Amino acid sequence: MKASSSPTASSLGLKVVLPGLLLFRLALLATPLPRFFEHDHQLSSPLTSFFRLQEGIFLYKNGIDPYAGDVSRVSPLLLAIFSTVLQLPLPIISVLWTLSDVLGAWALVSIWRARSQTVGTKTEGLVAAAYLLNPYTLLPSLARSTSSLDNTQHILCLLFAALGKSSPALFTLAFLTHSSLTSVLLVPPVIMLLLSGPTSSLAAPRPAVISIKKALYLASEYFVYVALLAGISTFVAGSWGWVEKTWGAIFLLPDLTPNPGLWWYFFTEMFDHFRPFFLMAFSIHLLIYVAPICIKFQYAHDPLYAAFLLQGIIATCKSYPTLSDPGLFTSMLTIFPEIVPHLRHPLPTFMLHLHSALLLLLFHDLWLVQGTGNANFFYASTLVFGLANGAAVVDAIWAGLRISFGERGKGWAIAQL
Amino acid sequence: MRTNILKRALLAASAAAALYLALVVYEVRANETAHAAAAESFFGAKNTQGHTNNWAVLVCASRYWFNYRHMANALGMYRTVKRLGIPDSNIILMLADDAACNPRNKFPGTVFSNAGRHLDLYGDNIEVDYRGFEVTVPNFIRLLTGRVEPNVPRSKRLLTDDRSNIFVYMTGHGGNEFLKFQDNEEISAFDIADAFEQMWQKKRYNEIFFMIDTCQANTMYSKFYSPNILATGSSELGESSYSHENDNEVGVAIIDSYTHYVLEYLETVNKTSRTTMSDFFNHYDPVPIKSHPGVRADLFPRPVHETLVTDFFGGVAQVELIDDDSEPARGTPISISIPINTNTNTNVPIQNEEPRSARAEVRDSSPASARRVQSNVKVKSAGVGVGGVGSSVGSGNARDGLSGEMRTWIGTFSVLVLGAWVARPRGGNKKAVR
Repeated sequence: MKASSSPTASSLGLKVVLPGLLLFRLALLATPLPRFFEHDHQLSSPLTSFFRLQEGIFLYKNGIDPYAGDVSRVSPLLLAIFSTVLQLPLPIISVLWTLSDVLGAWALVSIWRARSQTVGTKTEGLVAAAYLLNPYTLLPSLARSTSSLDNTQHILCLLFAALGKSSPALFTLAFLTHSSLTSVLLVPPVIMLLLSGPTSSLAAPRPAVISIKKALYLASEYFVYVALLAGISTFVAGSWGWVEKTWGAIFLLPDLTPNPGLWWYFFTEMFDHFRPFFLMAFSIHLLIYVAPICIKFQYAHDPLYAAFLLQGIIATCKSYPTLSDPGLFTSMLTIFPEIVPHLRHPLPTFMLHLHSALLLLLFHDLWLVQGTGNANFFYASTLVFGLANGAAVVDAIWAGLRISFGERGKGWAIAQL
Repeated sequence: MRTNILKRALLAASAAAALYLALVVYEVRANETAHAAAAESFFGAKNTQGHTNNWAVLVCASRYWFNYRHMANALGMYRTVKRLGIPDSNIILMLADDAACNPRNKFPGTVFSNAGRHLDLYGDNIEVDYRGFEVTVPNFIRLLTGRVEPNVPRSKRLLTDDRSNIFVYMTGHGGNEFLKFQDNEEISAFDIADAFEQMWQKKRYNEIFFMIDTCQANTMYSKFYSPNILATGSSELGESSYSHENDNEVGVAIIDSYTHYVLEYLETVNKTSRTTMSDFFNHYDPVPIKSHPGVRADLFPRPVHETLVTDFFGGVAQVELIDDDSEPARGTPISISIPINTNTNTNVPIQNEEPRSARAEVRDSSPASARRVQSNVKVKSAGVGVGGVGSSVGSGNARDGLSGEMRTWIGTFSVLVLGAWVARPRGGNKKAVR
């Protein structure tokens, strides 16, 4: 912490930034903003809505199976935790969300420290601020969407993996899988991260030496955790109905509430005859990105980067995304500052994001509140949002691979064959 | 080191699995017995014997002014079943003609059933569901079997379930195994028997009491073959049923003798009577009735002397009392069989003189008793399947297994224990992974 004690370096140092942002977030909670965002479709999906969590808890407390209907799609683990340990009044719950975000920011900073092997640089403040002030993560946390908690778990998992603590990492990932099944796609990069470490070899790729046996062992440990938690979930819920309603919802898309994703509109217009095929196609689409990215970036020895890219792809192609998924992606960009000079079109990407963020809000309001627009308006804005996310991911992939070619000498050009 | 972790992980997993399995088995068994016990205590109560709601289908199948008595028959039955507690929503009244507003009616808007015109059966609060030309054989059979057109309103549907006791009363002109509808068609005993069989197969009734007042009425129930039907008719094969009396001002016969004596007997029954059907059948006296009424009980599962008259004529329902606070009741509910009459005050208005003094005491007892019960507890009338949604997380009423709250605490605790075990500091194991 020596560097942070000098006044110039600590002006953006973590010790100042983190408490300051915490206070700022707590101050935001005191405004009427949270109520404004509570039921917003961009900030909470049917799987992450706090309102539905409360409904599930209420039904459960009154002896009705919360998974018999379609309202509550929350994992039984969250149901159990929120109805026992976290039985707190609403303002304190909001503070809990803010604290979880601050924990996520701190974990992101710790990942940065592990990756860059430095402590107390200016970047730490930037990383924390990028996570806490990013509107994509700020607003869902104000809306008490459980996707913010999912983000925190995600970052904690990456932190444990970066520090080499396999069991905590896999357990956090298992818990995250229970609230958001799509995170199972992160198992390969996390295992790779556990086996190779967070330091980057993007600039000097070399083949990875990963023992398959160890990887399989870690994977089996992960699945054991998932199974144990599934057993506890079944015990809490009293039956296996929760599987269809929580995990099944991701594959079967029963709820077509509008969200910033690409799935819902397709399936509002689809004939039932084609539904299974398209559900399969969309799910497999998400699955096919895992292997190429992990294989490619094992040479770069940067599974953290692979996890970062996968998060971007998940954010774009997930079945029930909220704004916090691309929020995590954009915030994680700060822990890879070395690729920023190699981004080919950062400004258009940023403009696309700005454009789509504004359009999302505007067209959502126009369609659902004022009634002068229709679903196509909002879907168009989600398409632009998908384009923005896609552009960001593509650019990040390019930059991650480009960095190994080094500085471009005069008279030379880098071309893609 | 690696195998050590593996062994420990496997041990923990198998211990947890064993524990979980044991808990699940215990849960499931406890649930089964709890559910069975709850169902038994709800349905097995002696005094309701399996039915939870009552319906009545009252059919007058003949038209024209000179068949005034048939409409009076049906309206008399209507008044009686309403008095004994079946609400209008559960009564289907089919009158093939309008006697009250008939131009030949000297007392318009009224229908009487006794010679002194003491009691107006029509009044201003009756609900005729099928009237005039809607009373046809196809409509009747569709009503019974439930195969109605989609545009038929709810009030014209027989919305019974497998716990409904139905009282079917038919009157009109009939003969050997037929009943005449509207003077242009007839329904046969086979048709009604088949309709009842369809109802049985579609679980549309718990028990049926079939009463028919026509000439040679007993032939109409001779063809039934479905279970749980008790039937009675006014006259044997080859016998006619006769009217009881004429009113000189109205100018026609105003009641049939079988129905008259049945109604007179039912006036002695009130909602809390324990009069049995055997008492009811024993009061049949062929001499004043002028024909030989018959009873068919071979399809009926219970002994007739243990079947209450109110099982068919009254709207008795099972009531579950819960405490005033909003917690769902735990433990076995106190079940009291209290007849719920939703229209105590909306019966047919009575004229000044009442030849039957028994009616006065009947009217008073029920509202007072109902009010007394409702004074300081919340009466929750228990319908079938209240709150019984889905899986083994049923209502908390009679659960022996772990309650939901216990389960959430155990679940949370397990997760925290698992997390703590996962996060425990292990010396040297970190390095072994990479």
